[in-house]
Amino acid sequence: MSLLADVLTVLLNGLQQGAIFALLAVGLSIILGTLKFVNFAHGALYVVGTYTGLLVAHEIALTSGKLQSWGFTSLGLDLGFFAALVVVPLFVFVVGLGMERFVARPFYDRPDTDQILVTFGLAIVVQELFRILFGSNSLPFDQPAWAAGPIALPVVGNFSQWRLYVIAITAVLVLVVYALVEYTDFGLVVRAGTRDAEMVRLLGIKITRPYIVVFGIGAALAGVAGVVGGPLNVVNPTVGTDILVPAFLTVVIGGVGSIVGAVIGGVIFGLTTATLVAVAPAWSQIGLYAIAAVILLTRPQGILGNEEVAP
Amino acid sequence: MARDTDLPTRRDVLKTTGAAGAVGIAGLAGCTGGGGDSGNGSGGEGGSGNGSGGGSGSDDYPALGNYPIEGDTAVLGFNVPQSGPYASEGQDELRAYELAVKHLNNGGGWVDSQFDDLSGDGVLGMEIDYVSGDTATDADTARQSAQRMIQRDNVIMITGGSSSATAIAMQELCQQEKVMFMCCLTHSNDTTGKNCVRYSFREMFNAYMTGQALAPVVTEEYGGDNEFYQLYADYSWGQTQQSSMQMFLEEAGWSQVESVPTPLGTSDYSSYLSEAANSGADVIVLNHYGLDGANSLSQAVDMGIDQDMELLVPLYNRPMAEAAGGAISGVFGTAAWDAQLDNEPSQQFTQVFNEEYERTPSGPAQLAYAQTLQYAAAVERAGTFYPPEVIKQLEDYEYDNIGMGQELMRKCDHQAQRDVPVVRGLPADQQEQGTYFEIVNVTSRDDLGYGCDEGPAAECELGSYE
Repeated sequence: MSLLADVLTVLLNGLQQGAIFALLAVGLSIILGTLKFVNFAHGALYVVGTYTGLLVAHEIALTSGKLQSWGFTSLGLDLGFFAALVVVPLFVFVVGLGMERFVARPFYDRPDTDQILVTFGLAIVVQELFRILFGSNSLPFDQPAWAAGPIALPVVGNFSQWRLYVIAITAVLVLVVYALVEYTDFGLVVRAGTRDAEMVRLLGIKITRPYIVVFGIGAALAGVAGVVGGPLNVVNPTVGTDILVPAFLTVVIGGVGSIVGAVIGGVIFGLTTATLVAVAPAWSQIGLYAIAAVILLTRPQGILGNEEVAP
Repeated sequence: MARDTDLPTRRDVLKTTGAAGAVGIAGLAGCTGGGGDSGNGSGGEGGSGNGSGGGSGSDDYPALGNYPIEGDTAVLGFNVPQSGPYASEGQDELRAYELAVKHLNNGGGWVDSQFDDLSGDGVLGMEIDYVSGDTATDADTARQSAQRMIQRDNVIMITGGSSSATAIAMQELCQQEKVMFMCCLTHSNDTTGKNCVRYSFREMFNAYMTGQALAPVVTEEYGGDNEFYQLYADYSWGQTQQSSMQMFLEEAGWSQVESVPTPLGTSDYSSYLSEAANSGADVIVLNHYGLDGANSLSQAVDMGIDQDMELLVPLYNRPMAEAAGGAISGVFGTAAWDAQLDNEPSQQFTQVFNEEYERTPSGPAQLAYAQTLQYAAAVERAGTFYPPEVIKQLEDYEYDNIGMGQELMRKCDHQAQRDVPVVRGLPADQQEQGTYFEIVNVTSRDDLGYGCDEGPAAECELGSYE
């Protein structure tokens, strides 16, 4: 195995691990940057996305949980993965709108600690709800047939096809959101509102609506991350909690409110893990947090963060 | 789950008996001290000893731990992972525990057919009740939950796992508090090795025996001069599992390329697996269990590693195979027990479990059911719940009634000497609910195990009876 192959393998592994973090972090970051709302329930939206995606794409056999005891031995629409990729963002977008209206909005003017407590509580409620309905048993989330199994890449050798798709889908989605925020009137209002919400209102623009949409888009991205990331692991109710801390760290490293920062944060995270596992496996977990600590000590607002926006 | 609260509890008795300041106060300290030292503990025991006449304890043994039991209900504590990476195992264990309680009180299952000591009318005339706890697959949480069961619920016996880390934490507490512990799924050598205790018994085999059972089978299948690469969950079980695999595979002529720890609860193993795939080894040993095992195995297959190398999963179980799906096809491992085992106790258990829950029981479920009934039968034989007498009944006890052949619960380390099923994963299209493996070989206990002065047992100091 040549050095080049080693480096390329690490690079691919790093990119695909970073991709899911980036996808979550982009949504988290724009909510935090524009609405100044700390959403610890972002992982719960990932769980909603994963389970909804699983049920839209496949028909699953239930072996435990309340749904099974109510007589559902199998559940799901079996419409395939593309359907899930369309339905889930729309569904989680609507869930996000509901969350903005009933959970986030009453807390916009409250301290960060209140926001953390209420959203973390919500995350636990959602997790336990899924546990009650589907049981603690892990469910397999099969990859779509056209992307299952390995593909032989030049130099690198066998690599999981689905993981390459994860990188590609993430790249497309991030570009779409970036374009939306940077190059549309909607994005202009959102960015202006971030700088000076009062002035935007004085100019006669209703800022509440774009804000709700921002929340919805952030939620939809978490939902998509759930669909795309679902087939990487087996599915169970705790996947959202497990991914929350790395996602937050990604935001903090990249800089709050910056889409590009979130992507860079995700890539740094993924590459650090992949490199350390290859070089010094015992240090992979510590290394991750050490990098975060070093970046925050030298640049507290994050790599691309704006000091004024940083919470 | 209703418990008779009208009867005086041990604390009530302590508060009133003797009113004698010194003993009474020392006794209360023993009850509430949260694992206090043995001086406090014995004060508490002395206090409740005075009060034993107020309860239904009619024998002559002194108070010890939560003995004697007040009232006519004996409470068992089922402390299993209901969350965390081993949660699905815990769920199945709990089903089996509840079934065991039902059969102990009302008859049915093995109580009627396999355990002559049991009547199906409670144990020693006492009704059996239970409390359950969540270990969250975490040793500290498990210990706290067990402590609550001992102090608040006055349990007479605790049982649980999986995760060896949680089982070891619980059994150490139980030794200290003089409450019996029956291991459920714990496979680390340390449980009945360097961390063994007098108050705990293990029916499950250990990592050492898995190595002994698996090495000859895979050597015959893959040849004797293979290079192997190990990934292991970085805690008690994973560490002893990888060292046992190394020992027995190297004895069979294999050589180890590298052995790499992975944190418990890792969800993405792709970087670790890439390294393993690039190592040039012939075989990758995945010492992962539960959710971790399902993830690492299915990710290995997804990356195409199984096309060029062989995979080994030393310890399998059903919920894990269920989650991994077709990825287990052709992969060798060992299993605690399997519903396909063709003997009377196994088939009976499968049938009663199926009737109760409409599902096939997993290996951990069989362990949970068996260990609860084994404890109850030992109490019946001892004629008392007094822990040292129950322990003596279990020590060096020979039995053949739980579907794993002729067994001996060895006195020197409290490790059952028993057969070990070696299994191989079935392809996805041959799997159905409850059937995921083919049984390749049931390795006899005569070909396994180790003396009391060798292997893990050499490090075992059981501690005192009282």
